[in-house]
Amino acid sequence: MEEENKNWYDKSYKLLLIIPAVLLIFCLVYLYGFVQDSGDIIKKDVTLTGGTSISVFTKDFDIKNVENSLKTEFPDLKIREINDFRSGKTIGFFIETKADAEPIKNALEKYLGYELNQENSSIEFTGETISSGFYKQMRNAIIIAFVLMSLVVFLVFRTFVPSLAVILSAFADIVMTITLVDILGMEVSIAGIIAFLMLIGYSVDTDILLTSRLIKRNEGSVNERIWGAFKTGMTMTLTSIAAVAVSLFIIYNFSETLRQIFTILLIGLGFDIFNTWITNASILKLYVERKGEGYK
Amino acid sequence: MKIGFRVWILIIAIILSVLAIKPSFESGIVVKSVEANSEIFNSGLKTGEIIKSVNNVEIETKEEYANQIDKLLSDGIEKRIDITTDKGSYTLFTNKVPEITIENIPKTKIATGLDLRGGSRALVEADEKLSNEQLQDLIEVSRNRFNVYGLSDVQIKGITDLEGNKFMLVEVAGASPQDLQTLIGQQGKFEAKIANQTVFVGGKDINDVCRNDASCAAVTNCFDDAEGSFCNFAFTIFLTADAARKHADVTDKIEIDTSGQYLTERLFLYVDDEEVDSLLISSNLKGQLTSEISIQGSGQGATRDDALKDARANMNRLQTILITGSLPYKLNIVKLDSISPTLGGNFVYLILLAGAASIIVVSFIIFIRYRKIKASLALLMTSFSELLIILGFAALIKWNLDLPSIAGILATIGTGVDQQIVILDEATKEKTLSIKQRIKKALFVIVTAYLTSLFALLPLWWAAAGLFKGFAFTTILGITIGVLITRPAFAEIIGRIEN
Repeated sequence: MEEENKNWYDKSYKLLLIIPAVLLIFCLVYLYGFVQDSGDIIKKDVTLTGGTSISVFTKDFDIKNVENSLKTEFPDLKIREINDFRSGKTIGFFIETKADAEPIKNALEKYLGYELNQENSSIEFTGETISSGFYKQMRNAIIIAFVLMSLVVFLVFRTFVPSLAVILSAFADIVMTITLVDILGMEVSIAGIIAFLMLIGYSVDTDILLTSRLIKRNEGSVNERIWGAFKTGMTMTLTSIAAVAVSLFIIYNFSETLRQIFTILLIGLGFDIFNTWITNASILKLYVERKGEGYK
Repeated sequence: MKIGFRVWILIIAIILSVLAIKPSFESGIVVKSVEANSEIFNSGLKTGEIIKSVNNVEIETKEEYANQIDKLLSDGIEKRIDITTDKGSYTLFTNKVPEITIENIPKTKIATGLDLRGGSRALVEADEKLSNEQLQDLIEVSRNRFNVYGLSDVQIKGITDLEGNKFMLVEVAGASPQDLQTLIGQQGKFEAKIANQTVFVGGKDINDVCRNDASCAAVTNCFDDAEGSFCNFAFTIFLTADAARKHADVTDKIEIDTSGQYLTERLFLYVDDEEVDSLLISSNLKGQLTSEISIQGSGQGATRDDALKDARANMNRLQTILITGSLPYKLNIVKLDSISPTLGGNFVYLILLAGAASIIVVSFIIFIRYRKIKASLALLMTSFSELLIILGFAALIKWNLDLPSIAGILATIGTGVDQQIVILDEATKEKTLSIKQRIKKALFVIVTAYLTSLFALLPLWWAAAGLFKGFAFTTILGITIGVLITRPAFAEIIGRIEN
């Protein structure tokens, strides 16, 4: 079976490269269109546009009713339930709007008929100017992080093509994840941006493993080395995916922040399998076989 | 089995971490703060003492303490209260709730952040660019305001972000967002004017402000009307000689009104250019060098109790800015969060559950893949010890673990498992090389991955006013512990198992 795989792989690994290339181009075109339409690369939630989010802890409410009574005054209002994983019961609701804290708080208090305080609610407000400042800085932090990561990769491997392949596959991970996040219509929060940063770390791990096995070693054939790295790398990624998926399931209806971090990570890890073992592996195989044609 | 020095380092790190976390099984409540000059303060009770009993009733939780005090003081009559702590006994005679804040004895030294513990947080920006010295001054004045106001569990930090903007971040455990808004969002410019001339201002013109003394600072009367209840308060302030002279000079030029009782102009009080009250000036003050002035105001609420509380809070705020003076610039609260402590416990439980479930699932996968019980167990133990060491270090330097910090820990444990898989795989194949050489290769991958993550995380330290510093901190800490302590130890263990 393994032998068959390899033969098939030898024949088709160059062709396989077309898939990520097409997908990456699609994503870049899609994102270009997205930026043209919306003015930014992602849809931002109130932590990045400025606004208020309120969690109210009460068992006594009807979510449709709350929504309807506030919708006219706050048309951009979003609402969802907060559930306790242990009991499976609804323990409150969470609303988000671009409005300032006072008006929405007052409207909500009027609807509920009691005062909102720290015993029964959490209120988070972020001003508009500061949020756009935060967004710019977080975006820059990601770009700087990416550049620094690239520098380290170049310094460690000191060969152009393999280093570029690592960086390209990390880049493709992020671009594809952003595209899917946009297609799904997710509104990214400031914590969600952290997830993209985590993705850089997670995605280069397997690429570094693959690259070092391929270009720093010479035991076994190229295919054997790729296969060995694949087995290790897949275990790594699958354990990560399993851990993230389990955490996501537990936290799903409880914390908006962690839910988004885990969702983005999950999407990114999925693309990482694809980009490490198709994009990066094919480029590296091409590179190693071209370079080593003499003694193969 | 012989233990090599790498494993010894791991063992020592684990022991030190447990010591730093210092799990405690003691029950009781600990005094977090004692209000200065209150009766209980004068009795000698100090912050940090552990309350054991009140009037011989054993106290183990915050709730029991509150119940006991409520029971004693329910009829409003002055009582003798005996408080026994681990350090001594204190007796007071009072009809008021002792002015202390208390906490249950923490189970560990691990401190949680505001988003888990509950409290209020404000990010404050000045409307002009501040120098480092000005930022320090701002922090000093704010800290002073909190102290005077009677809040002690306050953390104030100066922050410079990626673009060089300066902020002040204030986190308070027991304050409402309204308190934060008035205490730090306000410039706190207090002015008293007569006929549009400033007579005195808060801070520098004031020698003393009467507080906590019912004879010169109290809620004077309450009344109800169709809109609810209202309460008035009054307290005395003492002006400096200069301000008193100014008062005399200004009032001297003002006519006495037709009734003969008052002057024709009133004394207007402004806070940050907004009028808060105006007072009639009694005619016998005309041209007099008076240093004692009575400041008045009011509070309101739906019920008498609410109005009383509101009046007391307003009085305290006004006293605070009169004592601390004003800042030379306006402040804007750019982010204001008020987080309920209700969900904190639930949250910690869910995070632990998520962590435990993840580890179980991961170990299941590892076992299926390798079918080696010893190696799989070693991997799990290493991950757990990594977690322990991160928590130990965080407890040691008193880092507040907030949500971003916890996300960082989860991420670290995840990459940690990944890297252990690299070691395990390298060690179990390519038998042509010695185990040492194989592990060296694994460590190459690990150090490279470490360096990329380290540099990728650095910018986060400064971005977004440092709100995600926690994530950067725990992740960098975790991967550093990994590369220095746990990875080498794991490699050694695997090396021995494979040999």
